[in-house]
Amino acid sequence: MRIEKHPILEFQTGKIVKFTFDGRELEGHEGETIAAALHAAGIRTMRESGHLHRPRGLFCNIGNCSSCLMVVNGEPNVRVCVERLREGMNVETQKGKGELK
Amino acid sequence: MNKTADYVIIGGGVIGCSIAYNLAKKGAKNIVLIEKKYLTSGATGRCGAGVRMQFGTETNCLLAKNSIEMFENLEEELGYQDSIEFKQGGYLLLAYTEKMVEQFHKNLGVQHKLGIPSRWVTPEESQEIVPHLNTQGLLGATFCGKDGHCNPFKTTDAYAKAAERLGVEIMTYTEVKQLLAQDGRITGVETDKGVIKTPVVVLCAGSYSRELAATIDIDLPITPERHQILVTEPVEMMQGPMVMSFYHGLYCQQVPHGSFVMGLGDPNEPKEYNFNGSWQFLHEMAAKATFLLPPLANLRVVRQWAGLYDLTPDRQQILGSVPGFEGVHLAAGFSGHGFMIAPMTGKLMAEHILGEETSLPISMFDFSRFARGELFVEPSVV
Repeated sequence: MRIEKHPILEFQTGKIVKFTFDGRELEGHEGETIAAALHAAGIRTMRESGHLHRPRGLFCNIGNCSSCLMVVNGEPNVRVCVERLREGMNVETQKGKGELK
Repeated sequence: MNKTADYVIIGGGVIGCSIAYNLAKKGAKNIVLIEKKYLTSGATGRCGAGVRMQFGTETNCLLAKNSIEMFENLEEELGYQDSIEFKQGGYLLLAYTEKMVEQFHKNLGVQHKLGIPSRWVTPEESQEIVPHLNTQGLLGATFCGKDGHCNPFKTTDAYAKAAERLGVEIMTYTEVKQLLAQDGRITGVETDKGVIKTPVVVLCAGSYSRELAATIDIDLPITPERHQILVTEPVEMMQGPMVMSFYHGLYCQQVPHGSFVMGLGDPNEPKEYNFNGSWQFLHEMAAKATFLLPPLANLRVVRQWAGLYDLTPDRQQILGSVPGFEGVHLAAGFSGHGFMIAPMTGKLMAEHILGEETSLPISMFDFSRFARGELFVEPSVV
């Protein structure tokens, strides 16, 4: 299911771009949030919880709650619910707290 | 509420709770601890959470060394089921001027005499200890691997719970309005919930100690000074020690949770009660921290806060009684390094209050040193 309407966020339906998620090639609309593109591709698990390593999905969707932190182009702790999708992005599931480089 | 106590401790920070526990452990009864807000709501809960032995005066080195040895076994000593998050990743103190190099070598001399395992390290060795350290302009550093971090909230909680188990009564959200005295002798304290009659008051209310002492005409030379801290998002552990630079006036440590906690000292800070955070701090802190530790530029700041140093003229705490006044004991004016010496301070104060010989001499921390003009300045503080 594609998110098209949201009380706060705008979702664009522009140019189709390719990006990778954990090595899989996916497509999304340029300028929509990474979370929206992942959601449209059926991906519901964004990260795992810190202590019990349970799956975490979208929760606040406005950049507040840290439920959707992922590694984007090598940078950890990116809030994919407010980060816009661009051509060729490398999105990875984050294990643990993320390594600062 | 009108009641009677044998001992009234004013201030529910780590110092007050440590004194309460140590008094009760020694068998003292009918102890009441009064806290204006909640435990750790003052300087304790706002501090940088570092603990170190690397000081410049023998007395502070001894207080800190004994305290760190106590932190090592504190959970067991206090029967604490949780963790106080004690981490010994060391302190790396950076030297940028010839004068600092000289002072640090003097400090090492004092520390080595007392068995503190600190050592001089070159810029290259500093980078081995903290790989992401920018060594530009660095002349060297001192390092002590026994220094580190401890959680001030949990430590205070551990002391408070242990004290309560020994019968100490802790009254939070109770404000002392004034101390009561007659003929140079304490008779009680007046709170917003009534009077507590007591022959002994222990004053450990941080900056507010001055106002309280003034109610019985004792003039404590303590002034509040705002210090600010920020905390970042957590990442995997990458920095063992606290990095501290007196030249930049900053300290920065990665706590066990993975967050970086960092603070700055500002010599031009007005001496007043001010708990507001400022954007200037964020700007200056970010600039200095990312110069010294460049990868931190990619970290997001989660929040910032401010707290008060209870500053004395020689940046040394005031411990002991007040000459010519019966029943008043002081443990205040810690000037920014109270948390790390709280375990030993609590023990020494309990011994002093009960009239025993103290395990370490505390006479140099006497209140009357200011009247005598015998200040002894601690050189190694931010």
